[in-house]
Amino acid sequence: MPSPIVVLGVSGVYLVVCLVLGMMPSRRVSGTAAGYVAGDRSLGLLVMYFITGATIFSAFAFLGGPGWAYSKGAAAFYILAYGTLGFVPFYFLGPRAARVGRTFGFVTQAEMVSGRFGKRSIAGVMAVISIVAFVPYLALQIKGAGYVLFAVSDGWIPIAVGGGIVYTVVAIYVLRSGVLGVGWTNTFQGIFMMLLAWGLGLYLPYRLYGSVGEMFARIAEVRPEMLLAPGLDAAGNPWNWGEYSTAVLVSIIGFSVWPHLFMKAFTARDERIIRRTVVLYPTFQIFLVPLFLIGFAGVLFEPAPAAPDQILPHMLMNMEIPAILVGLFCAGALAASMSSGDAMVHAAASIGVRDGIVEAIGIKIDEARQRTYIRYLVVVVLIAAYLTAVAYKGSLVQLLLTSYGAIVQFMPAILATLYWRRATGVAVLWGMIGGAAVTAVFFVFQDLRPFPLHAGVYGLLVNGILLVAITLATRSDSPQRDRDFIEIAGTP
Amino acid sequence: MRHVLFAVYAVICLGAMTWPGYAWFGNSIEPYVLGVPFSLAWVVGWVVLTFLALVLYHVAGELSESDGREED
Repeated sequence: MPSPIVVLGVSGVYLVVCLVLGMMPSRRVSGTAAGYVAGDRSLGLLVMYFITGATIFSAFAFLGGPGWAYSKGAAAFYILAYGTLGFVPFYFLGPRAARVGRTFGFVTQAEMVSGRFGKRSIAGVMAVISIVAFVPYLALQIKGAGYVLFAVSDGWIPIAVGGGIVYTVVAIYVLRSGVLGVGWTNTFQGIFMMLLAWGLGLYLPYRLYGSVGEMFARIAEVRPEMLLAPGLDAAGNPWNWGEYSTAVLVSIIGFSVWPHLFMKAFTARDERIIRRTVVLYPTFQIFLVPLFLIGFAGVLFEPAPAAPDQILPHMLMNMEIPAILVGLFCAGALAASMSSGDAMVHAAASIGVRDGIVEAIGIKIDEARQRTYIRYLVVVVLIAAYLTAVAYKGSLVQLLLTSYGAIVQFMPAILATLYWRRATGVAVLWGMIGGAAVTAVFFVFQDLRPFPLHAGVYGLLVNGILLVAITLATRSDSPQRDRDFIEIAGTP
Repeated sequence: MRHVLFAVYAVICLGAMTWPGYAWFGNSIEPYVLGVPFSLAWVVGWVVLTFLALVLYHVAGELSESDGREED
């Protein structure tokens, strides 16, 4: 077994490097809120590519992916499926949002929607839904970091303590440098994670079974149900196609409207960069394949880990693997958790202040004060997510699916904002509220669902119906503004 | 035209990765593709196809843009 001291030492060095890299760019951004939040609209293709890639290539992928492949088999393939088409809507939405963002000075998604409809309460509702969605997503990242340190320290660092330490580091660098710091650390971590994923994904099956083919042949003999879609549910029974398919569907629809991703439309230097990032995005999906291989390598591995999501670090610590390699893995998984976590907490706090306090409530505060408030909120959101992580006992993937149910409710509003001139603010507002409420009810009371589908689907349905019906029954307070807005969105 | 083709592709791709396409055509262990069960290779195949479709769609758009025919 590799020595925990060396493993932790290597990871520690890595964290310090990230911290230094993450702090460096802070000198180059202007001291305005637009500088802190949108990086002065200057991100190029390389940074955009990795910032988007690494943001999604998170603890969810690194631990949740193998964890699901290990415990639920083919159910994990849903992750691959949704990522394939998930970013495609952004190809169309992104450039439109960038145009209105440049013209009207929006830096968040909610500013854009409430700006289009001249309705501040929309920004408030979106701020609340965003933060509600971000907390479980962040909790997932924190728990992931905790799992890694727990496994590689041989249980010496409890999950709550490990997650706490790692996210203190994240808090420090987000507080220091905002989004550009986030960008550069992600480029560095993105490359590192890709190398690591392929390295381990091919090495573990080779070490344990001789080859990838041998491994699957063995699993097909002993547990063939693992290799057939839609895989297994939490209890180990076959999952159903309805939930599998709607998990894919809801994730595809929700993916592009995650506020921290959508905000990239406002940070990109030009529209072509947005389009190219979307075109290149499926290349990131290929890096999920080795993570499934890792999970499957664990299926016949003895002894079993304490929780399925710990399978990867657990295997590493129970094999004869050089400590330095395990240390690098540990660093990579932490990197995965941190690089997603930082972008999320940054987005959640920016949204809370700019959309919740400034836009919705209408409190006038200067840019410097906004930056200060964003920093306070960074700390508050992290604490909320931390407490959720400590209290939550289920799987990491389930946390993400929960977040998606909330976030997917933004899509009808975004479509109406950027494409539908006739849409009215009150319709968008109540569509979102109705959709979120229905999703929440069906999420809490799973048995009330008429069919076993992802709760977000029902919310989306109600959301869309309310949006269309109320729009048709109401009239815009400023048809001129609506016309101009759609015109600007459609003019390259 | 490219918009319609791409939309058709996207719908087919979605159907192929979920029910019913996945259940009917992609959901078996054999044949193995590069050692990987067919159910996984099927989804990976759609990832690759989607990348190609996006590249085609994007390049076609850039070309028509430089011809000055592009409306959006």
